Amino acid sequence: MIKNYIKIAWRNLLKNKLSGIITTGGLAIGLTACTLILFYVAHERSYDRFHADSDRMYTVEAQVNMGGDTIYMNAMNATVGALTENASPAVASSLRLKDEYKPVILTNTQQPGVRFSEKDFSYADANFFNFFSFKLLKGSKTEALAKPYSLVLSQDMAKKYFGNQNPIGESISVRKDSTYLFTVTGVMENTPSNSSIHPDFVASLSSMPTMNDYKRDFDSEVFRLGAFPTYLKLNNASDVKMVEKTMQELSTQGNADATDVYSLNLLTDKHLNGRDASNTRYISIFPLIAVLILILALVNYLSLSTARASLRSKEIGVRKVNGASRKSVAFQFYIESTLYVLLAFVVSVALSVVLKPWFFGILGIEIDAAFFLNPTFLGILAGLLVFTILVTGFYPALVMSAFNPVENLRSSRVSKMGGVRLRKVCTTVQFVIAIALLVSGIIIHQQLDFVRGVDTGLNRSDVVMLPLQKTMGTNSTPFRNEIEKLSQITNTAVTQYPIYKGYNMFFVSSEQMPDAIGLPIFAVDDDFFQTLDVNWELKPEDEHYYSKSDQVVINEAAISKFKLGSNPIGESLLFGNSKREIIGVVKDFHFENLDAPINALALFVNSKTQATTDILGKSGGCLFVRFQPDSDVSQLLSQMEAIYTQYDSATPFEYQFLDDAFDAMFRSEERLSQVFNLFIILAMLIAGLGLFALATFSAQQRVKELGVRKVLGASVIQLTTLLSFDFLKLIFLAILIASPLAWYFMHLWLQDFNYKTTIHWWVFLGAGTGAMALAILTVSFQAIKAALANPVKSLRTE
Amino acid sequence: MLLQLNHIYKWVKQGGKRVFLLNDISLDVEEGEFISIMGPSGSGKSTLLNVIGMLDEFQEGEYIFNEEPVHSLKEKQRAKLYKEYIGFVFQAYHLIDELTVYENIETPLLYKNIKSSERKALVADMLDRFNIVGKKDLFPAQLSGGQQQLVGIARALIAKPKLILADEPTGNLNSKQGEEIMELFKELNQEGVTIIQATHSESNAAYGNRIIHLLDGSKQHQASN
Repeated sequence: MIKNYIKIAWRNLLKNKLSGIITTGGLAIGLTACTLILFYVAHERSYDRFHADSDRMYTVEAQVNMGGDTIYMNAMNATVGALTENASPAVASSLRLKDEYKPVILTNTQQPGVRFSEKDFSYADANFFNFFSFKLLKGSKTEALAKPYSLVLSQDMAKKYFGNQNPIGESISVRKDSTYLFTVTGVMENTPSNSSIHPDFVASLSSMPTMNDYKRDFDSEVFRLGAFPTYLKLNNASDVKMVEKTMQELSTQGNADATDVYSLNLLTDKHLNGRDASNTRYISIFPLIAVLILILALVNYLSLSTARASLRSKEIGVRKVNGASRKSVAFQFYIESTLYVLLAFVVSVALSVVLKPWFFGILGIEIDAAFFLNPTFLGILAGLLVFTILVTGFYPALVMSAFNPVENLRSSRVSKMGGVRLRKVCTTVQFVIAIALLVSGIIIHQQLDFVRGVDTGLNRSDVVMLPLQKTMGTNSTPFRNEIEKLSQITNTAVTQYPIYKGYNMFFVSSEQMPDAIGLPIFAVDDDFFQTLDVNWELKPEDEHYYSKSDQVVINEAAISKFKLGSNPIGESLLFGNSKREIIGVVKDFHFENLDAPINALALFVNSKTQATTDILGKSGGCLFVRFQPDSDVSQLLSQMEAIYTQYDSATPFEYQFLDDAFDAMFRSEERLSQVFNLFIILAMLIAGLGLFALATFSAQQRVKELGVRKVLGASVIQLTTLLSFDFLKLIFLAILIASPLAWYFMHLWLQDFNYKTTIHWWVFLGAGTGAMALAILTVSFQAIKAALANPVKSLRTE
Repeated sequence: MLLQLNHIYKWVKQGGKRVFLLNDISLDVEEGEFISIMGPSGSGKSTLLNVIGMLDEFQEGEYIFNEEPVHSLKEKQRAKLYKEYIGFVFQAYHLIDELTVYENIETPLLYKNIKSSERKALVADMLDRFNIVGKKDLFPAQLSGGQQQLVGIARALIAKPKLILADEPTGNLNSKQGEEIMELFKELNQEGVTIIQATHSESNAAYGNRIIHLLDGSKQHQASN
């Protein structure tokens, strides 16, 4: 019996190839989009769950109150882990894991000329491989990081530095302020893409007390903040409160006045619920889009499959007359639907595998291929399949099995029944989704454009940032001189850090605000203002203001934050113990994310010579280079690289354009926009295909009516209009429903932005016109074809 | 007595008035009869066949089939009854286009839950009997009208019904094909199958041993051969 059903299902698919392809193809496309998004979301949600004890692994966080600002810190003093472990029996083990803040230069000592700059270099306690579940491929779990100056490499890095050679026992030199020699004691598996901890190199933390940069971090044994991110593993997840209490007690034992509040956060929450949410800001919107696309595909499938099935009313009648019960007809249609869904599903899995690199390439995300076999993901996928089968099979089975055989057999004509109203609802729903996505996509795009176009107070275009390392040292002066000599260069300036990437903080007070407030500081040279077109509100009177010591330039926001007078020149701010006189005020400019209003800022301005030697050279600062707008950028970059390597051969040349750095802050919005673009296309495609197929059916069903009308004198245009109007009515209704929905959600979305674009009425008009044009195009094709047909043919078949 | 209709009325409402499709029809059919129902278009021939075939309802009257009171049976029991005893033959053949000749004939057996091996044997017998073994893997569209109707009759017979209801079985066929089909019916009738056919044609009606004339849903007079 089932064999018979499957056979007839297959033959039906082949018989109406076009509609069959559209029906199952539309579903496959929808399922593919859904699978890819589920894959992404499941991956995001799986972060750090691969550790064996992930349910009881915690990061330590301290909430610090400074001058009214609440700051969260996760770096603890070196002893915090051990002290807590000793004081509380609930703690199973603790681990310190410290990342190198800046890239380090690594060399395989056997190939002294070959240097690499590495970003993911960490120091960890000896129990690293017992604490976490990272797999060690070579070396001993307990011994690998036991001795000072031991180093474990990831698989990829072992290959990069040693090729196919066994790296164990070999040496790698690590160049920072001085050069340190590490012995390779292990090779670990590359960290999975869903790990928030992803070092390429893990060095023994016991090396740090003998390294110049870190010696001081071990000076104090008091329980307080420090330099080491610290992880705890508890015996029991229910002991969190108890351990937090112990930490609080330890903190006040060390210093009775301590007000810091310590808390434990699950490691598995770090990625999604951590303080930096930029990666995952729209993690909840993506599933919503996936659901919408799925609904779209299901609705499309439902509407087309009932239309297809109504062509088979005769078959149903025959089967019933031959003894089929309603149940067996329903079962037959369920089997058919299941078969088509399975087919669509197989196609969608194949498509997902093929499109995965491209899709995640657009999103700028890397996900291990192995995650495809993650049990949770497979479970979700199976759930999706079962859900789709249940939903899609139900309605056609219900409708088709209810066909009355007498009516269906009376004439050989195609029956008109079979969920006409349902198909109208389906078409409307499809276009509501498609139009709402289109409107939202346009508004997101406008918002991105708007934010990029906001006057942030400095001129970002035609500026490249060259971050230098300490290895530049005293060469910084001739380096800068040579760069400036290049013909296309107009200006250069020095800052401590690349802009939008961070700054130093000082705790500062004023006479009016005696409680210290955290204030961002830029150490710059006097060319900074001209190079970045930062405008003065109150320009220092003395042209050589920067040569004066104990001076500071502030921005407008700082005036109000420190409650200074409207002309604060001559007033002073207290930076710790040193007092600095305000000698100038710059207009506000954005130096961090646009989400928040512009923060107060202080600029320590140095003379050009001093900034070049001290900030740029000794401590490794950043050189801003402004070039002429029409410059040949790639040529310019290679010239600069040549100069760079001449003066610093130790560290590879790096650069970033200032507008790229700015755009990088909108990565999550950018992603959202790209995902929307993709899904708008998909939604339009599915909706368009569905409409096309429906128009085909409608023309088939009304073939006799059209024939009669034509014989009675209707023109082709009249017939086309007649056929098209039915559908266009629905599209119009969809526009009316979708517009307020899209407006509402986009309005909500825009609330999160400090700078928001206005939602223009013409966006709705444009999207509506677009949808209408798509509909007219698809429908009229079929309508014209039907209208042109010779009526003699259609009437003779009766 | 195979079936008995007592004062059957069937009507539809049109503009508040009853339009009678069947008007006080009484009919006794013995096993082994071959009855022809004649009448112009719209006289209620098909409706009567549908009522006898239990595919259609009626508003008033009694219908007893094989000693079962059809009028008081539930839908499911009725379906069981006609599944067991009645085979249908249509003017437009109504074969399933997506199934082969073999599969079309097999279909009623599937719904009777007959085992695969037994099905094979039964279908093979039927193909043999109608001389269409060579056509068993063809689809309906590849057959002539007469051949399609043969398949339709083979399908109606496969479940060994007591009664065959044929609604204009030759209506779409040329006279030669039509004659062949009627000869086949005669043969079947001689083997003991009861047949009721609706027809326009006097000559086809003559194959029956009783003719019933219908006009506007009413029985006119009865003639026996």
